[in-house]
Amino acid sequence: MAELKRRVRRILGSILVYAVLTVPLIPIFLMYTWLFVQAFSDRVIFGIIPQGLTLRNWAFLNNPIVFGGITHTSIWVILRNTLIFTFGVTGLITVVSSLSGYALSRVQFKGRTEFMQFILALHAFPAVILLIAVFYILNKMGLYGKGLLAFLGIIIVKAGMEIPMSAWILKGFFDVIPWDLEWAALIDGCTRLGTWRRVILPMIMPGIAAISIFSFIAGWGEFILVYTYMATEEYFTLSVFIHRMIGEIMYVRWGTIAALGVFYLLPIIFFFIFTQKALLRIYIGGIKR
Amino acid sequence: MVSVTLENISKYFGKVRAVENLNLKIEDGEFIALLGPSGCGKTTTLLMIAGIYKPSKGNIYFGDKIVNDLPPRDRNVGMVFQSYALYPHMKVFDNIAFPLKLRKEPKDFIKKKVQEVAELLKIEDLLDRKPSQLSGGQQQRVALGRALAKEPNVFLMDEPLANLDAKLRVIMRVELKRLQKRLGITTVYVTHDQVEAMTMADRIAVLSNGRLQQVGRSEELYNKPRNLFVAGFIGSPPMNFVDCIFVEEGDEAYLEAEAFRLRLTDSIKKILKENARSSELILGVRPEDIIISERKAEGSFEAEIYAMEPLGRDVIVNLRMNDTILKMMTSSLFKGAVGEKIWVRISLDKIHIFDKKTEFAIL
Amino acid sequence: MIKALRKAVLLIVLLGPLSALIAFTWIAPAVLTTFLSFFDVGLGLQLRPVGLGNFYRILYRDLWVPQILQTTVIYVLGVLAINSGFGLVLGILTAYFVKKESVSLFFRTAWLLPRMTPGVLYVVLWMWFVDTRYGLLNAILSMLGLPTPYSWLLSKPHSQIIMIAINGYVGASYGMIIYSAAVKSIPTDFFNAAKVDGASDLQIVRYVILPLLKWPILFVTAWQTLSLLASYEYILMVWGDTARQANVEVWALYTYDRAFWLYDYGYAAALSVFLVAAGLIMIVLYMKIFGFRRLMEPSRVEV
Repeated sequence: MAELKRRVRRILGSILVYAVLTVPLIPIFLMYTWLFVQAFSDRVIFGIIPQGLTLRNWAFLNNPIVFGGITHTSIWVILRNTLIFTFGVTGLITVVSSLSGYALSRVQFKGRTEFMQFILALHAFPAVILLIAVFYILNKMGLYGKGLLAFLGIIIVKAGMEIPMSAWILKGFFDVIPWDLEWAALIDGCTRLGTWRRVILPMIMPGIAAISIFSFIAGWGEFILVYTYMATEEYFTLSVFIHRMIGEIMYVRWGTIAALGVFYLLPIIFFFIFTQKALLRIYIGGIKR
Repeated sequence: MVSVTLENISKYFGKVRAVENLNLKIEDGEFIALLGPSGCGKTTTLLMIAGIYKPSKGNIYFGDKIVNDLPPRDRNVGMVFQSYALYPHMKVFDNIAFPLKLRKEPKDFIKKKVQEVAELLKIEDLLDRKPSQLSGGQQQRVALGRALAKEPNVFLMDEPLANLDAKLRVIMRVELKRLQKRLGITTVYVTHDQVEAMTMADRIAVLSNGRLQQVGRSEELYNKPRNLFVAGFIGSPPMNFVDCIFVEEGDEAYLEAEAFRLRLTDSIKKILKENARSSELILGVRPEDIIISERKAEGSFEAEIYAMEPLGRDVIVNLRMNDTILKMMTSSLFKGAVGEKIWVRISLDKIHIFDKKTEFAIL
Repeated sequence: MIKALRKAVLLIVLLGPLSALIAFTWIAPAVLTTFLSFFDVGLGLQLRPVGLGNFYRILYRDLWVPQILQTTVIYVLGVLAINSGFGLVLGILTAYFVKKESVSLFFRTAWLLPRMTPGVLYVVLWMWFVDTRYGLLNAILSMLGLPTPYSWLLSKPHSQIIMIAINGYVGASYGMIIYSAAVKSIPTDFFNAAKVDGASDLQIVRYVILPLLKWPILFVTAWQTLSLLASYEYILMVWGDTARQANVEVWALYTYDRAFWLYDYGYAAALSVFLVAAGLIMIVLYMKIFGFRRLMEPSRVEV
């Protein structure tokens, strides 16, 4: 009897555990289901039941979207911009943080603790102060809203916004490399930089991968900077492009929005499926190493 | 090859004094062991010789050249770490070749040299593997190979055998010793294991709390420990220490302890009277210097068997006299039962006597 | 001498790029914005000094400020409850109650999904979900015979509920990951010992896990307060310039609003100076409370 009671209790307990983990996620799963179903159908009822399967929503791949008499920029130009932006940001962040992460982790210098405190304290500065100042600078330089230079400028700004956290996370990866290896390399004849390049860097490849994915996702999803500083569509990225489409054609062509959304989501799905461990490592990053 | 001289070396990390005023000359081709408990400063000393740390005070000479400011890569030292510190992303071949590559040696030469070292260490078959695919013993050989390939002037080893299993450790002890003698490289070997130090090294430097306690050959350290620390650290099971007081009664002199009274010979009495600055002393007796006497006799004491620790060939008998417990080493032919009372005596010609305050050896 | 030079070169190579980026994107803007806060900046960016006028306006004359403040407090506290509180539940569940690592990994990554989804797209999903005619939420509610609001986005409390939900789903994973890492770093001996002593799972949570998670909880709460205070992106993407009418405009968004929709840059700069001040006070406080070392290793479990 007691045995039965205990078992019932155990089963109820695990039902509760999984319910708490799962039930709040149901809306999110439904949203995703809708996105994929909607992208391939005319109409969707009750969120997940497609009516009239079609590829019409994907017409934007061949022809620029025309709406309200305006012909929008081709999706491929937008994709190119997004890729330039994303890879620019990723490259900058990865290179800079793998240099500085090593210094923060391994090199003794005066003011090291203060410098690290300072980097941590940057968290207190809201990004919005940056927006106002950058706007002022771009405007004074006559670059606001247009031009490749402004576009490149905001790549640097985006990288700069992410760099304190990335350097910090990567420092965590450097921290766990045993000193023995560093010493061995020095004794074997490396300079400090040589040690970094030949011995330490190859060992923190998982960290570099994690940071690259992290910055890729950050760059790919960036909205505010491009939204605020790029006035012409030819320099839009996917996020701003889709945001504009929502404003213009929502309520009329959910299908196109959904298809654009799926298109936009593809690399994220890839990372989500194939790099789960690395993803968790990033977010734990710097913290649990 | 080269001799290594440490002259008044001190190393401070902030307030921590890792090494304090160390003087040591390591002869050309000599195998010296730095022996001490963990945190005694032996690895710090090794890393100073390697050039990783710079001494806070004092000078390090290679031959007669001061090398304090020479970076590690210009010192031509080879080092083997306890963790082996093999580069995990390089194959065994590249690990061994790494120092030669950095020296920009020609490819053919590197290949020849690696092959030569691999043969010497019997790891020819492993050259294509990654370190993670090797056993501990194999990794250890690769680490040795990497250190030897560059033909170092000084060979540094930091507990290289500590991560091996007991059986392999015994084998490697002999092989390392033979290798060192054959190549004749000046070697500094850091260990906390007295057996390793005593079996392998030409001389042993015992360190404690960053200070050098004694340097000497193993029998010197064993038979003539300079102070209480060395006496207690060298030898297993360790030396018995008993607090006692030096008393004279007429012509006779005694060491009076809580549990027994030891009558001293005239020669010991003379030494004590000349050298002891206080009558509070510590008597040191090695377990093998306590001897069973058949019956009550002059200079023997009655003791109760407190516990027996059989070791196979020998047995350690723990003897209790009042509140004092002494370890006695004897042949396992001895048959005794716990609780039984036996008579023992101490061989007077083997005892050690230390000043209780200064802890230095008087006898 | 040569050694010092070598060290300097090494540091410049390693830390130069980082310092340059930080100077360019953090220090210079902070200085410039503070500078601008003492001016009335016209449309043509001509500067007219007003002294402390902007600050005076914020404190005494701006009729929106009370509402913005109230919304900010609701936003920060509401989302914080989810990020730190529900995140704690998720962390403990995935790290302690779900014993199988693969299952636990599945749930942890599933909860990461909102965070990874590009913001604009995540917002599209929500806009569909709460859409009055087409959305799923109202469809379900009316099927259950419950009343449905005319719009989920137009006015409070509905708009504020959605605001908190949208941000909470993104934030919950942060707490979850830090807490689960902290739980995982507790030696299993502790759990076994408690079990041997007769503790139930709930008692283990109460008497073993929670006390050991004290610092991670404080850290996540503190850190997230700062992050939330400065965040506004999702609200902007959903509501745009209608946020103020919908009662979801937080201080940071109000700053953006003033600058980029109302072209009142000087005033916006002054608004953001308040944010910086609040942030700095908090971070100094945190460093005092936690000590710098703890902030560096927030998941350290006090064993």
